[in-house]
Amino acid sequence: MRKIKIQFKLNHNDIVVETFPNRRLLDLLRDDLNLTGTKEGCGIGECGACTILINNKAVNSCLILAPEVDGKEVLTIEGLSSNGQLTTLQENFLKYGAIQCGFCTPGMVLSAHALLIKNSQPIEDEIKDAIAGNLCRCTGYKQIIEAIKATVKS
Amino acid sequence: MINFDSIKHVRGESQFVYDFIPFEKVLYAYVFYSPVAHGIIKKINLDNALGIPGVRYIFTYKDITGENQVGGIIQDEVLLAENEVDFIGQPIALVVADNFLTAKHAAKLIKCDIEELPSIFDPREAFQKGSLIIPPRVFSLGDVDEAWKECDVIVEDRVESGSQEHLYLETQGSIAFPVENEGIKIFSSTQNPTGVQRVAARVLNMPMNKIEVDVLRIGGGFGGKEDQATHWAVLTAMAAKKLQTAVKLILPRQEDMRITGKRHPYSTDFKIGLKKDGKIVAYEVTYYQNAGAAADLSPAILERTLFHTTNSYYIPNVRATAISCKTNLPPFTAFRGFGGPQAMFVMECALYKASQVLGIDYHQLQKINLLKDGDEFPYGQRAENCRAKVCYDSLEKIYKVDEVKGRIEKFNNQNRFIKKSYSIMPVCFGISFTTTFLNQASALVHVYTDGSVSISTAAVEMGQGVNAKLINIASRVFSIPPTRIKLETTNTTRIANTSPTAASKGSDLNGFATMEACQAILKRLKKLAATELKIEDENQIEFKDEVVYCKGEKTDLTWNKIVQKAYVNRVSLSAHAFHATPGLYFDRDTSKGHPFAYHVYGTALIEVTVDCLRGTYKLDSVQVVHDLGETLHPVVDKGQIEGGIVQGIGWMTMEEIIYDKRGKLITDSLSTYKIPDVYGAPEKIEIHFLENAPNDFGPFKSKAVGEPPFMYGIGAFFAILKAMNVFRPGLEIKFIAPMTHERVLMTLYSEVKEKVRL
Ligand code: FES
Ligand code: FES
Repeated sequence: MRKIKIQFKLNHNDIVVETFPNRRLLDLLRDDLNLTGTKEGCGIGECGACTILINNKAVNSCLILAPEVDGKEVLTIEGLSSNGQLTTLQENFLKYGAIQCGFCTPGMVLSAHALLIKNSQPIEDEIKDAIAGNLCRCTGYKQIIEAIKATVKS
Repeated sequence: MINFDSIKHVRGESQFVYDFIPFEKVLYAYVFYSPVAHGIIKKINLDNALGIPGVRYIFTYKDITGENQVGGIIQDEVLLAENEVDFIGQPIALVVADNFLTAKHAAKLIKCDIEELPSIFDPREAFQKGSLIIPPRVFSLGDVDEAWKECDVIVEDRVESGSQEHLYLETQGSIAFPVENEGIKIFSSTQNPTGVQRVAARVLNMPMNKIEVDVLRIGGGFGGKEDQATHWAVLTAMAAKKLQTAVKLILPRQEDMRITGKRHPYSTDFKIGLKKDGKIVAYEVTYYQNAGAAADLSPAILERTLFHTTNSYYIPNVRATAISCKTNLPPFTAFRGFGGPQAMFVMECALYKASQVLGIDYHQLQKINLLKDGDEFPYGQRAENCRAKVCYDSLEKIYKVDEVKGRIEKFNNQNRFIKKSYSIMPVCFGISFTTTFLNQASALVHVYTDGSVSISTAAVEMGQGVNAKLINIASRVFSIPPTRIKLETTNTTRIANTSPTAASKGSDLNGFATMEACQAILKRLKKLAATELKIEDENQIEFKDEVVYCKGEKTDLTWNKIVQKAYVNRVSLSAHAFHATPGLYFDRDTSKGHPFAYHVYGTALIEVTVDCLRGTYKLDSVQVVHDLGETLHPVVDKGQIEGGIVQGIGWMTMEEIIYDKRGKLITDSLSTYKIPDVYGAPEKIEIHFLENAPNDFGPFKSKAVGEPPFMYGIGAFFAILKAMNVFRPGLEIKFIAPMTHERVLMTLYSEVKEKVRL
């Protein structure tokens, strides 16, 4: 198998990388680009820990092959507060105690972020739908929902 | 109160073991494990696997230079199988290669001829065949045999409770590398750094001081990384030593689910005798614990089952027998509650069944029998500062249980197929390691010359917020902001001989040690300040918000200044403190003593809606009154309670572990094993902290929080059961958990005698 060249926008910057066409996007991000904020919890699209945004839509990066992002815009957790300033959503995760072990957090935050991009005033059911694919074993979800709701209000 | 420790998480900057790249060159390991539940290894052929380019080495038991033994309580578990395999998933070999995929691919090419032997998967069958981990244990109080004569009704039944996968979101993993002087350093995702160090030393035949274990944080543990993180850490240490380079082993989710232990399934017989008025007179219970193929922590878990036999109730005559049965499944291990939930579930089943026979409301029965001060537990300790009743009563008042009842009755009268119900679940949980010597911890505190503070303890941060609590404690003692305090990694070179972070004791033990170390430094600073301010009595010095006060008056001395002065005057700015919980003892021969520093109490109200046509249900709400003493960190504590409740509900309702006839786990991925997602969690959770409830045995009068809330989840089972009984009065109930949707449906319609009229 030969490596192919792909070009995409990663966290607001244009990049070009060479990768095997069968490489998972998750591995490209974590192992080749050293963006370890994206986590692997299951590898089969069931836990949401690997959630990232492609063209503003939340997707599981464990189910995507790297070449699929050619020409697209990718946002990982590292790109969310790139200027060092936390977003209101991130601040609310802290404030409402929506984080325990933190392993699900990057995926959870990005799922919520994707929701707020397309719908700035979601109702509770829409919030739940948006994070229904993100498992958290620590929190019980209540504080996560509260954090997202508080972000909607502001 | 914000948990500052979480800032890195929300930015995606926090590192877990599998994020570390400490070296340019890291090799990746993959475990080759037994595909049969019981058998003799006839031949193992590694040639094909070794022929794959990129494969560096394949380890078998023959490569072990020390003892091939990882057992803790009992030394009955090999690291790599020798001649016999005892469960599917038992590690046989470790493939090490340049990258993960190569290692995995090579493992598939290992040929292993195994002659299968008969297997046992059922604990009762194991018991009959004499396959036990330890001899049965018995706790008793009063005279059960005599007491039956006084009873007006006697009820018996059988209870089954299922296993549960921890599903920490971060799977098990470790990375090890050689350091100078023939040492090995291990980054492990473990709750038990010293456990890893001790076993690595044993297996590698090295002194403990040459093995350094470091834990930055772990992505959830719940008990699953108390004993069972060790194997992976030791395997990487062994490989790193031999290959003289860094070796990383991260279990993929499916392997993690297949190989590692889970919550113990229990099969139990109970017999309960009561007076007509509802007072329990006698209770006899026999627990068959399915321990799996090796002891692991099973004997300790078995003991905690016995400790919690009577949950939050007083029963004058008890005989509880617990039998740890050896089967051919992966060794079951610690999981939040540590055997307590299994006992409490049986207790509630006994009360539920008795209520039906007696015709007294189930919750009335609970209330009649609640523990009070001075009541004796079957293990000889007496209830002190007992808050069972105040929690129960407050719950009824705060959440208006009478109104809830009325509302539910009205709903049920108006709806034929959809039924609502509620249940109340009181919990009493003993706090301390029941193995007394584990109740020790130390802390090392440094104040640097710029006034910033560093703390090292034995506690492992796994999401339970122990770092935030320890920072809070130091911040209160020194009266400086939390932002000036840093929690270091848990490292065996800084803090030696650590107890695992478990038994909900992390904050208590390490909290006291931290407090004592900080106080020792503070005392020196006060003395120095007294000298500086030219007064005799250092007790008139106070530190408040980074300023030194003398006789209540503000002075020019600040925290920073006095720290500087201490350094210049050669006063030590570091302290190491050791804490051992006082007053604990337990005699394993008589099964009597004072094993717990105190108990945590609480009560939950759970409401459900069951669709009795489809068997589906929804958790409407869980409302709780919980005794935290005086909370050290309300945000962290609330999170622990909510998370515990949801996990407990998962165990009782949707999380079902299924093995096939050969002992192979069928529910080995997240597509077949379901934990609560946002829709599986209750629609509403409300937590009320019991007021005016200081605890003299916790740091700053707090109480431990980790495990007790898990058991509120048991109430979900009974709420669903009650709704089913409303739909079908007289329905014959089997006490089998989890009560999945499927089981609700099958129970409601298994013995349909009359046609359901639509
Ligand atoms: S790792 Fe991608 S969904 Fe779980
Ligand atoms: S915070 Fe641990 S899994 Fe969500």
